Amino acid sequence: MSPTEAIPLLIVVLLMISIGGGDVQDMSVTFQGDNNIDSLADIHVVAGGTTTVPEGATVDGDIYVIGGTAAIEGTIDGDVTLLNGNLSVRDAATVTGTIQTYSGSASVSSDASVGAVSQFEAPTPSSSPAQRIGAFLLQFLVLGGFGWWLVTCHPLVIENVGTAITEHALVSGVVGSLGATTLLVLFVYMAFTLILLPVAIIGLFAEFLIILYGQTVFGYLIGRRLPIERDGVATLAGIAAFLLIFELLGLVPYLGGITQLLVAVVGFGAVLNTYFGLQRFEPVAIPGGS
Amino acid sequence: MEFSTHVRERQWTTIAGYGLFVALMVAGYYYNITFVQLGLIDLGTRLVGMSETAVSMWMAALALVTLVVAAVAGVTMDRRGWSTDLRTKLRLLFGVVCVQFALTLVAPMVRTVPGFGAWIILASIGLGVGFPVSFSLAIDLVPVPDRGYVAAAITAIAYFLANAIPLSWSVDIFSRLMVAAMAPGILVLGILSFANVDRLDSIIDALGVQHETYGRGRFCYDDLIRTRSLAFAIPVVLMFGVFFIDSLGFLRIIDTPSLLLSSWQSPEFSTRLFIAVAHVVGAVMAGVIYANYSLSRIFLWTFTLFALTHVMYTSDLRFAEVFPAIAGAGTSPLNPALYAIAVSFYTTLNFAIWPDLSTPETIGTHSAIGIGVAGWLATFSSTALALYFQAADLTLLSHLNVVQALSLLLLFGLAVGLYVNRMIELARENGGASA
Repeated sequence: MSPTEAIPLLIVVLLMISIGGGDVQDMSVTFQGDNNIDSLADIHVVAGGTTTVPEGATVDGDIYVIGGTAAIEGTIDGDVTLLNGNLSVRDAATVTGTIQTYSGSASVSSDASVGAVSQFEAPTPSSSPAQRIGAFLLQFLVLGGFGWWLVTCHPLVIENVGTAITEHALVSGVVGSLGATTLLVLFVYMAFTLILLPVAIIGLFAEFLIILYGQTVFGYLIGRRLPIERDGVATLAGIAAFLLIFELLGLVPYLGGITQLLVAVVGFGAVLNTYFGLQRFEPVAIPGGS
Repeated sequence: MEFSTHVRERQWTTIAGYGLFVALMVAGYYYNITFVQLGLIDLGTRLVGMSETAVSMWMAALALVTLVVAAVAGVTMDRRGWSTDLRTKLRLLFGVVCVQFALTLVAPMVRTVPGFGAWIILASIGLGVGFPVSFSLAIDLVPVPDRGYVAAAITAIAYFLANAIPLSWSVDIFSRLMVAAMAPGILVLGILSFANVDRLDSIIDALGVQHETYGRGRFCYDDLIRTRSLAFAIPVVLMFGVFFIDSLGFLRIIDTPSLLLSSWQSPEFSTRLFIAVAHVVGAVMAGVIYANYSLSRIFLWTFTLFALTHVMYTSDLRFAEVFPAIAGAGTSPLNPALYAIAVSFYTTLNFAIWPDLSTPETIGTHSAIGIGVAGWLATFSSTALALYFQAADLTLLSHLNVVQALSLLLLFGLAVGLYVNRMIELARENGGASA
């Protein structure tokens, strides 16, 4: 695992430690090779290679696994958290605290003595049709309400963003992908400073809102093409159609995901290029054509 | 885009002009980033037996002599009217390619320091004449509105080939490949320059008068840009800054096996292909931005990307310093990919900006000074600084930290400069504050 790949998960670990009142200064990390540990500096992070707590050894502290393999054969007086990678708790092992699994592969022997085992179940939108419909309706209500408000109160604003999407899709896509990527990297690195973590979270949330803004405008553009006279109703119908198409695209492997990404970056770029719709985007005029 | 109009109107001569320009520039740039930048290091260290420091000093000398020769060649072209004579430019280019062909052929046979020095001097003369001549072809062959896209195509093709084709950085291999590629190129250039065929003459004549339409660059329409004006000096300084930080950082990165072997010289084809594709993506983005935004916006994006790249590189190194176990682990291809995008951005800008800051009367001088100072002088000075860092035993992190500081300073300086410029404009418009 390289630093660039490890950083996001390490940020999560740092957050978890901070929330749990642990001391980050006492953290050690292994990235590669085979390592046997028989003592812990309070917190140990396994980011790569194989780390083993050998049989007979007793260590006092918590272990976080974000990559590689952690093999527990001895005793851990603390918790074990698996975020990514592999965790193997063998027959003779003892974990006095909780084994918390978020992701990755965990194998806990039935002969091992474990305080508690907890498996995090991420809510999946596809888990039941009712949940999916509920999520769809929630999305529709949020985007529809926003779209309705824009069309009725600020029609020029949404029109400007819509024009940037239809007439300058390539430019919007380029600016969207550059802007979104640059900001994403910036926010991740800001989060790593811990001091700027709140700013990073707000920034990431703002990015998400801009993507939603772009999606609303896509819905508005579809609505304009529908044979509905009232602008607000047409926009609502367009947003519903857009969300439906967007949902269906997710079912198409690879191509669907790529199309969803393209739609997101084009919308993102169009919003940025028009200063959130306050100004119509006009590319510079280059003289000298034939 | 003008190109699609020409295709619709079946103006095949103009379209052929695009093709000729892209082919010549791709060939020239590929030669530069492979044979000159990488092959010579191998020639000097492995075959001649010089130290890396000595080779770097010779490379710096190459940059400096190239700059001087280019300035003389560029000014001469403008003064004698060669800049507006396509046939003369093609003949000059033919001469340059012949010289480079001979030099490339004999390069692997060089075994002595004086021989290496002589090779460097002769190559500098060829390169010095070659780049103002080749850049000046833009006024004959590329319509102004399409220069960003054409520059993007050149950058994308050259970098894709340089990264995707798995070549060892060895002068023998580079030499064999270049000689094989240059031989048909010489033939074509020879025919274009000297053949007395009616059909060909009419094509060259038609292309030769296009500078009357395409000659005045994008930034020269409102006011003519003089060589000694701020409008020319500022882009030169900014491009110098970009070339300088790129060269200073890259010199150290390619000297660090763990960084090099996990990126540009990775044994994994997929990694190199990833970087090659990143170059293409970066070039396309730069082309689109160049064609649709002001120059200041393009520079801002370029500097932002460089600053971000170096922040990522140094963050990784700081991270590895805190957790020493990571030092031996491979690095993510994300960093070199972002680096590739940043490099493609400014390379695209470099191909488009000098013709766009020129007229047919100044193209030779402006491209020579622009690329000479921004490209070659920056390379010379960054090499000198890198050698000083090496002598001072500066660690990788300290070295890249300097590069990061420079890139952030450049970004901040540009942002402040643009803001102040706008303030001055407002003050002039209103004669002071306005309500």
